[in-house]
Amino acid sequence: METVIYLRLKKKVLVQCGQLLRLKDICYLVADEKWQYLQDLPIHTVDLAHGNYALIELREVIERIRQHVPQADLRNIGPLQTIVEIMTPIRIPKKLSIVLIWIFLFTGSGLAIMNFHTDVNMKEVHERIYYLVTGEKEKNPLVLQIPYSIGIGVGMILFFNHLFKKRFNEEPSPMELEMFLYQEAIDQFIIDDEKQKAERKDYDGSP
Amino acid sequence: MVLHNLLLIFLGLAGGFAVGSGFVAFITVLGIVPRLVQLSKTGKMIHLYEYGIVLGVVLFTWFDLRGWVIEAPVFITAFLGLLTGMFVGMLAAALAEVLNVLPIMVKRLHIQDYLLYILMAMALGKIFGSLFQWLIFQVW
Repeated sequence: METVIYLRLKKKVLVQCGQLLRLKDICYLVADEKWQYLQDLPIHTVDLAHGNYALIELREVIERIRQHVPQADLRNIGPLQTIVEIMTPIRIPKKLSIVLIWIFLFTGSGLAIMNFHTDVNMKEVHERIYYLVTGEKEKNPLVLQIPYSIGIGVGMILFFNHLFKKRFNEEPSPMELEMFLYQEAIDQFIIDDEKQKAERKDYDGSP
Repeated sequence: MVLHNLLLIFLGLAGGFAVGSGFVAFITVLGIVPRLVQLSKTGKMIHLYEYGIVLGVVLFTWFDLRGWVIEAPVFITAFLGLLTGMFVGMLAAALAEVLNVLPIMVKRLHIQDYLLYILMAMALGKIFGSLFQWLIFQVW
């Protein structure tokens, strides 16, 4: 009677090229003690023949388990597929690329804010504010401009909810949320795209 | 004469209407107020913030157009500078966020774990760019 096996596929797994994926690598199994050996069931061998993404569908996993345990009562409690992402070696050293990107963004941001200031004639606005507040004309109102410059950085950090390692609360920053949504969209695209590729292969029989 | 004045009133009202609604639309799209509300957990006060924005716009416009001089001590301008700078900083951050460049770049270059440094680069770059402009860069 105790033949019910609950399956929950992992949403996404990161693997090395050539790795043999066993059931436990892509799936959480809730089952009786005697079915635990299924954990080591080989499911899929990773190769780069079809790009660095592959899809393992629940259907394949069920077929594979059925071959071993035809009477098994399989129940799915998770996603319908697992995305397999094959790690490709990165050519440029990470430290170097980060330093380069850092300098790139640093100078780019600096130039962009200067362009913005010129565009909206911020210098004139500052002189005007200085005059309206103090009643004195001043060509370089640095008392206003230096705190203003620091304020720009403070405002950006506030918006992104980050101060170096410290964050102000548990909520995600807009950037983190944006990255999450972007990743979700990519995953969904891969699922649909890989399925479509597989269907086309079935249809015309080409490899 | 009366006709001229009526026309001017109409023009002023129409122009102000366009600029005001444009300003509010811009602020809304960038989502700065929701961000501040989220940080401070004061969602109930949102109407107060709206009035704050409108009052600020009207007051500053009026002071500027009429040329009213307050003759306050100089340190007040430092305070104003910090506040306006913070606002511009949030504006810049929100704009960069709307354009959605960073998530794509970070993903492409496999540097998801270093997002923090990337953000710091942008914030510090803005501070130094701005300081450079006011202190050293002089073409006027």
